[in-house]
Amino acid sequence: MLTYLKWTFRTVLLLFVAGFLHYTLPQHDIVRITNTYNRLTTVGTENAWAYASPDTGTAESSVSRDIRFIEAVYPDESVIVYRNEDTGWVWPPYFKYDSSNLQAEGTNLKSPKETPRWVSVTHYGWRLPFLSIYPNAVSVHEVASPDVRIIPWVNIIVLTALGLGLFMLRRMWLQFRERMIEPAMAEVGETWDEVEARADAAKASAGGLMSRIAAWFATWRKKG
Amino acid sequence: MIAILRLAVFGFVAMTVTYVTISIYSRSVRREKLEKQFDAGEVEAGDVEMGRDAYIEAGMVAYRHGLRRKLIWLVYIIPTIVVAATVYFVNYQ
Repeated sequence: MLTYLKWTFRTVLLLFVAGFLHYTLPQHDIVRITNTYNRLTTVGTENAWAYASPDTGTAESSVSRDIRFIEAVYPDESVIVYRNEDTGWVWPPYFKYDSSNLQAEGTNLKSPKETPRWVSVTHYGWRLPFLSIYPNAVSVHEVASPDVRIIPWVNIIVLTALGLGLFMLRRMWLQFRERMIEPAMAEVGETWDEVEARADAAKASAGGLMSRIAAWFATWRKKG
Repeated sequence: MIAILRLAVFGFVAMTVTYVTISIYSRSVRREKLEKQFDAGEVEAGDVEMGRDAYIEAGMVAYRHGLRRKLIWLVYIIPTIVVAATVYFVNYQ
């Protein structure tokens, strides 16, 4: 039972971390931009986490605000809609404050089906129609063809750094335990042994005293 | 504007915590290495005469003036460069 609980907990934690990374790390889509526009959008409590926080440049109000969108088509004709908002200075750490420029670049790269211009859109986030959330476009670059392969350097670097960080954290914890906690525990153990020994001695001597008193009383009783 | 100051302040606090913990760790690893070296007899005759405590203390003084300790400053430098690079590549490319 406890093993099941433990593994369930671990799986949930792993899924949570993986989902978090999948949401936050940048991804590249090769698409054809079909439209760019602003739309007055109401942000609810259920999806506010997937929009810019109210104190960033483009998000003047936390309830309803004008948000820039970029509509695009994948080579296989399925569609995707990106939002284009500043990220502000905390999370996710893209430090993006050029949404207006990005919108202009996106508009410039718009192309019809007959003469497509393929664009690599770097973005983070998820498109979930049920929650009305959109991935946030971070940058756009024109590419030669839809088959261009993009090496995700940022992801490679970030994941490597995270792995190294975890490894270091573990090493540091083990070192701390070996050098600080274990000697301290040993010392506590020794002190405790001493205390016990002293208590035993005290008990023995107290017993001696009590029996001496008892013996003293016994001498009285005998006399009585 | 407040947001960027907040990032700077919290970033500085986080980097300082990291710097202090890594310093403690690095010092501890060096001390352990010196202890093990001395105990395994991997030291020169002059060092043995010096005694264990003095040998370790001399090693720690050398560590304090060494390059490895200075490299821990990278904890401040690397994140700052990463943030600056991110700002540049996201907004000015």
